[in-house]
Amino acid sequence: MSLLSRFQLRFRKGEGRLVASEPILLESASPSGLNDLTERLNRWGRLWSPAEDESEHTHAQRIVTRRLTGWMERCFGEHMPASLSGAGDPISLASSMPVLTAFLGRRATRELSRRVLRDV
Amino acid sequence: MFDRGAPRLVRAIWTLFSVHFALGIIAYLHFLVTGTYVWLGWFFVVAGSLFFLVMTATECWLAFTCRSWFDADEPMRLAWGMIAFAALARLAGVVIREVADGRLPWGPVQLRPLFSGVFANLGQMGLFVGGPLSMAFLAIGLGRVLQTQRRFRLRGPLTLGDRVLLVLIVAFSVSQLLINLSLLGGHPSPGTVLLWLSDPLLALLLIEAVLVRRAVVRIGQGLLAKCWGMFVMAIVTTSLGDAAIWANNHDLLSERLTALSWYIWFVAAAAFASAPAYQLAAISIVQEPNLRQPASR
Repeated sequence: MSLLSRFQLRFRKGEGRLVASEPILLESASPSGLNDLTERLNRWGRLWSPAEDESEHTHAQRIVTRRLTGWMERCFGEHMPASLSGAGDPISLASSMPVLTAFLGRRATRELSRRVLRDV
Repeated sequence: MFDRGAPRLVRAIWTLFSVHFALGIIAYLHFLVTGTYVWLGWFFVVAGSLFFLVMTATECWLAFTCRSWFDADEPMRLAWGMIAFAALARLAGVVIREVADGRLPWGPVQLRPLFSGVFANLGQMGLFVGGPLSMAFLAIGLGRVLQTQRRFRLRGPLTLGDRVLLVLIVAFSVSQLLINLSLLGGHPSPGTVLLWLSDPLLALLLIEAVLVRRAVVRIGQGLLAKCWGMFVMAIVTTSLGDAAIWANNHDLLSERLTALSWYIWFVAAAAFASAPAYQLAAISIVQEPNLRQPASR
């Protein structure tokens, strides 16, 4: 069940009553803050799933790929990274997290991803 | 039987098996030299029963621990739940048979079977619980594992050998079913009919084992591959044990070979216990606080 469906279910049951609150005054974001956020999101996106046409991988991407490959070999087997990457692309967080979550469980995979992304 | 880098629990299981097996070989040699069943009988009744109890209890505990690592909405929770229930049924089967045989320190216990209308005696009930019932749970659990493997395309294509093996399994299963159906005219007890389910269920498990093995061959020798490999080994050895019983019933084995074939069941028990130990090792390895990041070649 999605997060939205859960919320709607709870709301229908009357568990989540809306409470009127004081209007929140939001300050308009500064252009530099937005740029910073965009840069962070793009960086995370590239780390999660490197684009196929990306000619040069960054140092962080290489570290993540190397660590992921090591974990896949240790948990599944030495041929797992090759069978997962398919057309020869290096394995990424996007391609490896679903299979790791399925066979190791959500909690173990959360800890594993923490280790993969440490100091990156 | 296991590599030096195997997880601690797996090493413990196979070390215990090795010690137990060495004792068994001494008892077997005594049987070969003297021709009497004194030592062999002691080994199977006391040490053998204890080994089965320890292995099935360990398997049960490990499988329930594996299950607890998955949340309610995760598909592998059902798989490990079913595997844990299979282990629990095998443990219950061992205990019921021990009670039925009166192999307890306080002597034989007279118990009325729970389902006296279905089973002829407590021993038959133990055979059903530890046999077909346990196999049914395991078949559902492995079916779920196969489903998940298929989702991620982890299974390699079947070879010609696999296809021939699958055809043979199905043919043998159908022939056994036909033999059993012809016996229905003799009005067998419901318990006996329930025990006939073990052949088709074992055939189903063998088919699943062939498919699981394809995934193991495809991905290599990691902890999860070894976990599935242990299930394959356990199912194959169980089938060999069943085949030995069938051959003995048809006077196809000598007395010496019959006694030797009883040892197969210890290998199956150790393999069944090792499977969840490997899965738990794969889960725990990411939790170890001082673990080095694995380096890729």
